[in-house]
Amino acid sequence: MDALVGMLAQTATSAADLKAANAAIGAGFAYGLAAIGPGIGIGYVAGKAIEAMARQPEAAGMVRTTMFLGIAFTEALALIGFVVFILLGL
Amino acid sequence: MLGLEFPVINEVVRWVDLFPTFNKIALIACEATLIGTVVFLVAGAADWRVAPTGIRNLAEIVVEFIEGLILETIGPNGLKWTPHMLSFFIFIYLCNVPGIIPVVYMPATARMAIPLFLAIIVWVIYNAVGIKHQKAGYFTHMLWPPGVPVFMKPLVGLIEFVSNILLRPFALAIRLFANMLAGHMLLVTFAILTEELVQGDSVLLKPLGILPFFMLLFITAFEVLVGFLQAYIFTILACVFIGASMASHEEHAEAH
Amino acid sequence: MLSAVATQTGRSIQIEFDHFAAEAESHSEVEPKDGPSPIVPEIKELAWSAGAFIVFAVLMRFVLYPRLKQGMAARYSSIRDGHANADAIRAAAKADVASYEAQVASVKAEANARIEAARRTLEEEREVRLAEANARIAARRESARADAEAVRSAGLSELESAAGDVTERLVELSTGLRPTESVVSEAVSASMLEGAGR
Repeated sequence: MDALVGMLAQTATSAADLKAANAAIGAGFAYGLAAIGPGIGIGYVAGKAIEAMARQPEAAGMVRTTMFLGIAFTEALALIGFVVFILLGL
Repeated sequence: MLGLEFPVINEVVRWVDLFPTFNKIALIACEATLIGTVVFLVAGAADWRVAPTGIRNLAEIVVEFIEGLILETIGPNGLKWTPHMLSFFIFIYLCNVPGIIPVVYMPATARMAIPLFLAIIVWVIYNAVGIKHQKAGYFTHMLWPPGVPVFMKPLVGLIEFVSNILLRPFALAIRLFANMLAGHMLLVTFAILTEELVQGDSVLLKPLGILPFFMLLFITAFEVLVGFLQAYIFTILACVFIGASMASHEEHAEAH
Repeated sequence: MLSAVATQTGRSIQIEFDHFAAEAESHSEVEPKDGPSPIVPEIKELAWSAGAFIVFAVLMRFVLYPRLKQGMAARYSSIRDGHANADAIRAAAKADVASYEAQVASVKAEANARIEAARRTLEEEREVRLAEANARIAARRESARADAEAVRSAGLSELESAAGDVTERLVELSTGLRPTESVVSEAVSASMLEGAGR
């Protein structure tokens, strides 16, 4: 990232451009990093839910509801990252 | 070289006023109200004695879906919230769906106004239910779950306050807003990419335009699912919050 | 709305498009680029959507949902009533079948009893007749045996007298003496008894 910023500092013509470019890079990193944890988390939730449904198909309805709840709560982190991405970069 | 210029985000999601203060978002919101009302009026006017068909069948399926959802999360004594949850679900769904309808192509929930307003309503409802059911005990119970050591109380209280009072409605609004905005931005991205590739100067790149076009189709199909899923999740989370405000009453009573 | 200003100065006519008006118009025709951050709600959208949602929620709460739910509840209760009716009818039909079966059973039992009685009287009559016939046969047999006995004893006494005569004659011829009647008859009956005993 330092290399990127250094390259930008050489090519950017004005301070405003430099700032915008830094913000864009920061936004990209913010969203990318924010997506890692929830990605793992949602995968874990969905995998466990499938395991539970396969073991006990008669409880599938309840498991599905709970799975959506878990996904919704996990996903919030990624979405906050997305909001930060919008606030920073655009 | 491809001259791809992505529009500023406000250019994608902000709309001109059709007449003062009334823009596309307001139009979609009003249309959602209109469509929901007309569907339910027609459904209510149909003869109830015969087996439901067409619009009445649709309306009854939605009602029973919401009733099942409430039974799962709140329990039988939450059934009086059915009309409210029904209006949340239908309104959000009808605001989400224009995101994939040609010509309109704008989910009204991709603007912060609707999600924020609905989340504030849910916040008011679940706090009111909590206060009504548990009186002042609602706040102490919310801030300090049973079994917290005394020296931890300030920290736990702060965390619980922030998460329950501030973060919950915010997350509820952001979840709907960000999901719909992200879907909309994906559609925009692939539409622009397709257009640029097909209409660009380079002949070599023209056939490549089929790839983002297929992606566009796939994302449109995905948005059909997301539009329903977000309405469902918003409704079920509202139910869960209300249910939590009501249910911790029993735990509280049992603890004494 | 494109407005133009035409000014004539000497020979030339100068037409100037009203740039200010044109710019303002074109600006409002595209989507407004400058605006608050997309995460900040706009008051006008908030107001309109809030109004729309409140109208919808109130309608749903007081008009739309109750009407639909009323119909649903009425239909479900009618279906439930139909089920209850069907159950009642089924129970009544079952009771009818049970009473019919009971009647059939009683009639069958009566018929069986009658058949049994008839068979019993028949049996008794047959017994009586059989006994009568047996008695008659026994009487006949008895009388026949008595007759045969009489005939046989008559034949025996005749044979005895004949044998006595023969014996008397034989003794008279061989000895010249006439044996006494009693001795002869005694001897004959003794030998006949002996023969009968042998």
